[in-house]
Amino acid sequence: MKAATYAVECNGTWRVWISLAPIVDFCWWEGREEKFGGWSHNQGMERLVLLTLEMPLGWAVLFRDRFRSDKHMHTWSAREWSTYIEDILQAELKAEGDGNGNGNGNGYGYGNGDVIRYSGRLLTGISMWECEGNRWRLTGRGCNMGVSDDNRTDEGQAFLRSEQRKATNVTSFGDERTEVLKWNSNFRDRSDREEEIFLGERIENLALLARQAEQLVHGVSGRSLLEAELEALLLDQSPELCAPWRRAAQLAHLQGRLSIEAAVGEDARGGAARQGLRQLPLVAGALRAAAAWPPHLGFRRGFAPRRALPRCRRCGSAATARTPCAACGLSGCAYCEACLALGRSRACTLLLRSAATPAVQCTASSDPTVAARRWGLSAAQAGAAGAALAFLAERRQRSAVPSPEHSTVPGSKRSAVLGSKHSTVPNSKRSSVPGPERFLLWAVTGAGKTEMIFPLLEAVLGAGGRALVATPRRDVVLELAPRLGRAFPAESLAVLYGGSTERWVGARMTLATTHQLLRFYHSFDLVIIDELDAYPYHNDPMLAYAARQACKPDGCFIYLSATPPTDMQRQVKSGKLAHARVPVRFHGHPLPLPRHLAADPVRICLKRGALPKKLIQELQISLNRNAQIFLFVSRIAHIEGLLVLLRRRFPSVVIEGTSSQDAARGEKVMAFRDRSISLLVTTTILERGVTVPQSDVFILDADSSLFDEASLVQMAGRAGRSKDDPAGRVFFISPQWSRSQRGAIAQIRTMNRIARQKGYIRKESLQ
Amino acid sequence: MSMLSQWLRKAELLLAPPLTRCLICGKNSKGSSPLPEVCSNCAVTIPWIQVPRCTTCGRHVGCPDCTRSNEPTPLICNRSAVAYNEVMRELIGQYKYRGNERYTLLLGLMLDRAYGLLKAEQERERQVQLKGQKRNTLFSYLGYKGEDTWRADLLVPVPVSGARLVERGFNQAERLGHVLSSCRGIPQLALLLRTHHTGKQSFKSRAERLSDMKHAFAIDPGMKDRFAGWLQTRLNPNAPLRIIIVDDIYTTGSTIRACAEPLQRLADECGVAVEIRSLTLARS
Repeated sequence: MKAATYAVECNGTWRVWISLAPIVDFCWWEGREEKFGGWSHNQGMERLVLLTLEMPLGWAVLFRDRFRSDKHMHTWSAREWSTYIEDILQAELKAEGDGNGNGNGNGYGYGNGDVIRYSGRLLTGISMWECEGNRWRLTGRGCNMGVSDDNRTDEGQAFLRSEQRKATNVTSFGDERTEVLKWNSNFRDRSDREEEIFLGERIENLALLARQAEQLVHGVSGRSLLEAELEALLLDQSPELCAPWRRAAQLAHLQGRLSIEAAVGEDARGGAARQGLRQLPLVAGALRAAAAWPPHLGFRRGFAPRRALPRCRRCGSAATARTPCAACGLSGCAYCEACLALGRSRACTLLLRSAATPAVQCTASSDPTVAARRWGLSAAQAGAAGAALAFLAERRQRSAVPSPEHSTVPGSKRSAVLGSKHSTVPNSKRSSVPGPERFLLWAVTGAGKTEMIFPLLEAVLGAGGRALVATPRRDVVLELAPRLGRAFPAESLAVLYGGSTERWVGARMTLATTHQLLRFYHSFDLVIIDELDAYPYHNDPMLAYAARQACKPDGCFIYLSATPPTDMQRQVKSGKLAHARVPVRFHGHPLPLPRHLAADPVRICLKRGALPKKLIQELQISLNRNAQIFLFVSRIAHIEGLLVLLRRRFPSVVIEGTSSQDAARGEKVMAFRDRSISLLVTTTILERGVTVPQSDVFILDADSSLFDEASLVQMAGRAGRSKDDPAGRVFFISPQWSRSQRGAIAQIRTMNRIARQKGYIRKESLQ
Repeated sequence: MSMLSQWLRKAELLLAPPLTRCLICGKNSKGSSPLPEVCSNCAVTIPWIQVPRCTTCGRHVGCPDCTRSNEPTPLICNRSAVAYNEVMRELIGQYKYRGNERYTLLLGLMLDRAYGLLKAEQERERQVQLKGQKRNTLFSYLGYKGEDTWRADLLVPVPVSGARLVERGFNQAERLGHVLSSCRGIPQLALLLRTHHTGKQSFKSRAERLSDMKHAFAIDPGMKDRFAGWLQTRLNPNAPLRIIIVDDIYTTGSTIRACAEPLQRLADECGVAVEIRSLTLARS
């Protein structure tokens, strides 16, 4: 889209604003009496320079962000202003010109010529205004200034007229027709001498608009929405706002409660990087200054740093694709390819963000033992939940300390000991990372992670905060939703997933699949991320960015995982990450330890047409004890061959195979759960989530590079989940040991050892 | 140790052949397939229309529509690159509705292939005609020789309404035409304008579409002069002007026929004979 851009001088300082509905801005800067709630009082506005009514939004935002006030600006004429704009947007104008010159210029009827002449047109779009009372006076205009030569003046006049026509279009929505007509006629009937326009009663009901702005802000608080998403939200939540939303949004923007951004723009992480640099020692600071020096020497072309790629402000990915765009008329309008599924984010798309209210001052820390009893937690679960609660409580104390810097508070203020003994407090270092604080709940497979989040949610909701539970899979969302509803009947709950009907419901508790986080902005006090290491969250910087954006800057993260990624494990070891372990399953029996069977790789077995003897023996034992068997393979291609061999060997047993390419996967998994399938040959797709009470796990080709330590631990975690059959059997079958196998076994051993030391293991299983 | 293995992996990546991500299945492949950014596995799933069953509308299956209505239309024939099936629905949906413009080149080249087939077909017909005429006079044979290769003169994309254009940011027909235009060197002029905003075609029945479409298109008044100017530059002003209307999907053909009428009128005004054909990406 295109947006109006203007500069305003208030008390000697200039500032640039972007406007979706310039008429609102004129009313705002006039100043109102006290009785108009939501409207400004006299703000010392001295003059207003309307730079353009239609600038591609991306450029408008760049211009606004790069703008620096200068004390001579009040003497500037339209010509100086246009030169200044050209100077600031130099690189963009040049790139646009190059794009056209290359012959890949767009074939649209619009745009092409416009852009080439854009710089010329800038001048003619500029008009300067002063306000006395509520009477606006035009004091200068681009086309009257200096351009004496040629037909440019004529063109300028024509352009101005068309701009004015467009201006009326910009504002011509909603039911305030009469008012728009007045504005329109004002422009149309104006001769060159008559340069005053009156805006006094322009918007008939200023109070109504203020209420609408209030309503809009309430509806979008804590969200990050593209224009189309906002329209969908309003249609769903408050249809009466659909028509006048631009005006309401503009008023909220002027009030400082809604930010107007382009969805793709200059590096959104710049701020964080700068903060990091500030803490570098003196020498580094000097080096940095030296590095910043060359551009001033005039070696711009050679030394200037390469322009950073534009980034998507919604998902944080670099937006590499550029195409001609009909909405803003540029021939190289960048768009983001990473988050297309949620609607296209482009350099000229409007991104509206409104941070929710500041993070809550939580209640006094709730007693872990009470919480444990209420939610029926085991000793180990209660211990870890207590540690997490202490983490939240201790954050409360910290945020109670008034601090000039919100996100970076010296770690020394943290209390040294948390509630539980097996949790570690990271010291000082971590606070150098700005943003929300993180806590890892490292709970073994089958520990009952879900139960542990209830007391945490209770603590935050009790304090009046907002909480989010994000989980990678849709079925988990659907399964968890009723449980959360039952646990917190008094709280509003929004359940979000692709195709969910509650997409725009505002609630204090949100349960969502990870992609839905992209629609939030500084919204939650507590963000719980389940199965941190699983697809799709793991290794996707976009989702990590989304999660960071969704959390309030002084909120906190709690990660749940049985197998945290290695870098996180390293942070735990070095004490940089607060964490608590749940080393034992809810039933209090140790994790089954995998055994290694040396056998030929599956490839060879298939070629030979025979399964390894040891494997057959162990399978027979499992079948005899009536256990269901997971047989994991590394390659989908092996499944068919194995099925033939297994069915030949065990003709009386129901054997099936499934993989990600199997259309009947859902039914087969259901059948396996119902025990109508006894042996399921599968790939890593079933390494998580599927729980069968009495099961044994066989992992073929366990030395395959496709099985890392985490997936081996997860697969091994399928066995012995139930209280009645806690000692499932797990086998790694491979010709040789590998690092992942050793790592997995070591990890399981460590957890069992910690559990034994803490006395979480039941007595009967110790014998 | 892990540092070393990381470096080794990076070095390996430097030496490995470049992988391209397939636009259809999303997997990385080494790709030596006829289409850009599509792996060879997916390339075979594309439902090409090699030989149309219906010579009027280019349908790949028997076509009752073309025999049903006897309304006169300036449109000579339509040709489509592919049949509209699940694969193509996904592709076109990704392009049109999601706005993944990475598909432009792929889909444009598919259209280009259809143009190639149309060209070959026209040239074959010409050959047949020539064989018939050959006996008459040697002179006429020589006179026709220059016309041996068939070539369209102008591409006209089907327009989308202004509101849709702003919302979507591009006109898919125009973008596809742009690819074809740059492949074959045929100029493209956006002569048409959508006079009223018809809702989404995909929600309507056949009868609704037909009645809806009448008078939905007009000549863009701003383009008339450009068109007239362009006519002056033609090398062979007496030959009929071959216009190709470009669109993404042909379902009932009502859109294309509605586009053909104003074009015919424009040609009549300018006093040139026209042959209007259409080329669409998919035929449902």
